[in-house]
Amino acid sequence: MLLVNGLGVEGVGLTEEMVTSAYVHIPFCRRRCFYCDFPISVLGDRIQGEASGSIVQYIEVLGREIALTKPTAPLETIFFGGGTPSLLAPSQLGLILDALAAQFGIREGAEISLEIDPDTFTLEQVQGYQALGVNRFSLGVQAFQDELLHRAGRSHSREDIFQAVGDLRQGGIVNFSLDLISGLPGQTLTEWEESLKEAIALAPTHISCYDLVLEPVTAFGKQYEAGKHPLPSDEITAQMYRTARDLLTSAGFEHYEISNYAQKGWQCRHNRVYWENRPYWGFGMGAASYVGGRRLTRPRTRREYYDWVEGLSLGTGETEGDVISECDRLLETLMLGLRLSEGLKLANFSPEITQKILTGVQPYIQQGWVIYSPHSTRLQLTDPDGFLFSNTILSDLFNLFS
Amino acid sequence: MTDVPVSRIRNFSIIAHIDHGKSTLADRLLQATGTVEDRKMKQQFLDNMELERERGITIKLQAARMLYKDQAGEEYVLNLIDTPGHVDFSYEVSRSLVACEGALLVVDASQGVEAQTLANVYLALEQNLEIIPVLNKIDLPGAEPERVIQEIEEVVGLDCSQAILASAKEGIGVPDILESIVHLVPPPRDTVKEPLRALIFDSYYDAYRGVIVYFRVMDGRVKKGDRVRLMASGKEYQIDELGVLSPHQIQVDELHAGEVGYFAAAIKAVEDARVGDTITLANSPAPEPLPGYTEAKPMVFCGLFPTDSDQYEDLREALEKLKLSDAALSYEPETSTAMGFGFRCGFLGLLHMEIVQERLEREYDLELITTAPSVIYRVTTTAGEIFEIDNPSQLPPATNREKIEEPYVAVEIITPEDYVGTLMDLCQTRRGIFKDMRYFAQNRTTLVYDLPLAEVVTDFFDQLKSRSRGYASMEYHFIGYREDALVKLDILVNGDQVDSLAMIVHRDKAYSVGRALVEKLKELIPRHQFKIPLQASIGTRIIASEHIPALRKDVLAKCYGGDISRKKKLLQKQAKGKKRMKSIGTVDVPQEAFMAVLRLE
Repeated sequence: MLLVNGLGVEGVGLTEEMVTSAYVHIPFCRRRCFYCDFPISVLGDRIQGEASGSIVQYIEVLGREIALTKPTAPLETIFFGGGTPSLLAPSQLGLILDALAAQFGIREGAEISLEIDPDTFTLEQVQGYQALGVNRFSLGVQAFQDELLHRAGRSHSREDIFQAVGDLRQGGIVNFSLDLISGLPGQTLTEWEESLKEAIALAPTHISCYDLVLEPVTAFGKQYEAGKHPLPSDEITAQMYRTARDLLTSAGFEHYEISNYAQKGWQCRHNRVYWENRPYWGFGMGAASYVGGRRLTRPRTRREYYDWVEGLSLGTGETEGDVISECDRLLETLMLGLRLSEGLKLANFSPEITQKILTGVQPYIQQGWVIYSPHSTRLQLTDPDGFLFSNTILSDLFNLFS
Repeated sequence: MTDVPVSRIRNFSIIAHIDHGKSTLADRLLQATGTVEDRKMKQQFLDNMELERERGITIKLQAARMLYKDQAGEEYVLNLIDTPGHVDFSYEVSRSLVACEGALLVVDASQGVEAQTLANVYLALEQNLEIIPVLNKIDLPGAEPERVIQEIEEVVGLDCSQAILASAKEGIGVPDILESIVHLVPPPRDTVKEPLRALIFDSYYDAYRGVIVYFRVMDGRVKKGDRVRLMASGKEYQIDELGVLSPHQIQVDELHAGEVGYFAAAIKAVEDARVGDTITLANSPAPEPLPGYTEAKPMVFCGLFPTDSDQYEDLREALEKLKLSDAALSYEPETSTAMGFGFRCGFLGLLHMEIVQERLEREYDLELITTAPSVIYRVTTTAGEIFEIDNPSQLPPATNREKIEEPYVAVEIITPEDYVGTLMDLCQTRRGIFKDMRYFAQNRTTLVYDLPLAEVVTDFFDQLKSRSRGYASMEYHFIGYREDALVKLDILVNGDQVDSLAMIVHRDKAYSVGRALVEKLKELIPRHQFKIPLQASIGTRIIASEHIPALRKDVLAKCYGGDISRKKKLLQKQAKGKKRMKSIGTVDVPQEAFMAVLRLE
């Protein structure tokens, strides 16, 4: 519970929330996609799994990092993100899970997610992951048009998507998610609709739709300008957002977060931890953790990350992270919580803070972008308009409290 | 301090371009004469303002008294009077040169003569100063003393047979320089018996003692406790403290003709003791003041507005304080529909403007929005009245205007030959009138143009530097008002006229400036939830229009693997940007938009 008063800050809650989630970053990829600025390591098209010395070494260091962490409660969610975690052999994933189990324990019924990419895994691999306890797969589909996939620098084809989903199904997996990107260069509204319909037809439990963000360091960032040809205009990408929302909700998906849709009961438990501003571990290169009120992002290259883990074992270097001030915690709670369609309850804040927030969002309530329910004290952005202008609303709230 | 015969005094200054090593040489002279002990030496003793040290230039002049025993064993008093190294302060330069009998002309042996140096040399020649050429930095690999000597002889017309080769950094040539000062620079005229006349060449404000006045006694003598009159301001003061600069202040009881010193007399602001004014004794005044006094007049104006309207009072206090030590600064309150309450400020030139802005932001911790610089226009109405206006919004309606005149300056540019074409092009596009072109020395050309000052204050210097890859230098001086076909260009954002974006421009350029401006504004003003028309107009006639399409989305896709820091930073940046914006009607306009006028190509 936040105890911020109107004037500033009043002490952090004394009881610290238990950490029961872990994000593990697997940085390896065949190549770098043109829109990607994640911390990754490119391996090329041939080598993966135990054949890759780089992966072997990384897992060894990752294991050390986990073992050097102070033990907390047993984990309820684990998320292997990347990168392309499906470049790991099941045995390698097993080593990491063993390390986590040894350090924290893994609770029965924990959600264990794995990001996988088409054309990087076999049916046997899926069965191997499953046997280790992985129970949620997130498939990086991005688009259903070969031309668009090629232009985005993806290393798989449309056909590979069907093959991948076929393998998941054959492995008896029901709980899988598909990732899609809107706003790709040259992408038309029609193509976007096709992708959505094809995704729906594959009957996943969960779909994520990301509007392309041009990051300056990426190939796209250097080549294109946001909203300018060949990228679709803001008018079109805003329309894509609305189309996704219309098609997916009519197909029975719940739009539970700005970019995420799920069939009833299949929301991603791990990602909800972020949005509810609860603590989590982060392991691996570039991974971010939020433990004990401190946020820490690990170094983004392998060399620096290895040195950092070395420092961790020697007790030197920056391993604690930045303390999040009470005011920042409030802003983060708002920034993350308002991503969820259910929003957040203002009852968690002091009456002064609540009043200040309500004053700040008043014009947006009038405009129909924000809803406040006095009885439940729930503050929500509306779908789709409130979501589409969430930064406008949030930046006002940021100014209110800084 | 013992009484020094006038014949043993030498007053000199150093003329040099920025970076040619003036301050380093001054430091060496202080060390070589034992004025400042080596261990107390901090680099560049004379430039003691933080800003000056950062930029490596001298803005405020300083002085230093040195004792020197020449090779024949005779003792001399040398007074170094430093000069500011920028054209904005040419009046101050001329006053400190008047206080001297000689000058060292310091030229970088690998660079050669620059426009600014030339302008100051001419000032020195006008005062009949003995000029000693010093080629500095001869230890550097690129040094070409022969070429540079030839250049000085050809351009300046100075005899360089006695030029000194030096490296201030390495201490080379320093003894020769000291000997030359003693033997080439003439002593001051011995007018000790005449009524007191002392020339103010600088002053600064001290919070405890009031204004500290730096002066050179031209005639007569002055004592501690004397009641003095400043002949231009007519004000009288009792001298509380009298002294010399070594370079620290050392109190003395009396100074006589030829000597340089300072006094304090509870003077409240430097405008009461302006540079160039003559000090005389109140009870036996000199019949005539020293010639050449003028009041430094602001030439360039701009609006300064606090970003945060709560800082208006702070800004007013800061300007008041700066004004105490800067007589050339002028300011008066201004209200703008777009920017709220602020001040219209007048400066000697662009550098002066920049210095004041920086000091306000740095020393007084203010966040400011600065409007585009402008000049004073002279407007004659159909009724025959003449107005001087420094703000386009004061312009009477077109129907009531008989004519508009604008200030012109003569600009002298020195450049390597390769850039002559592009610099002539620059002057032409800035409505320049070609006056002269001279080739001198190797690969060096002088260009002389008459230009409207308004064209010089908007980005001209940056353009000059970028077009010549930094090689060209320039100097300008005011030559008078001239009538031009000038019009007022208005900018409308969402139908609202924006005072702070209005400009006075030449009719022939109005269309292209208007177009460029609306295009720039289209880039700089963020999208809003509605479509925003942008227009440029002359009177009621729209000459250019654009529009900013409505905002369709403002959302970030994803937080990667729980790393929320970047999303938070983006939001903070957006929030901060919003805060710095000013509302015009329902449109939020960022500060850069108000600066857009400055950066038009």
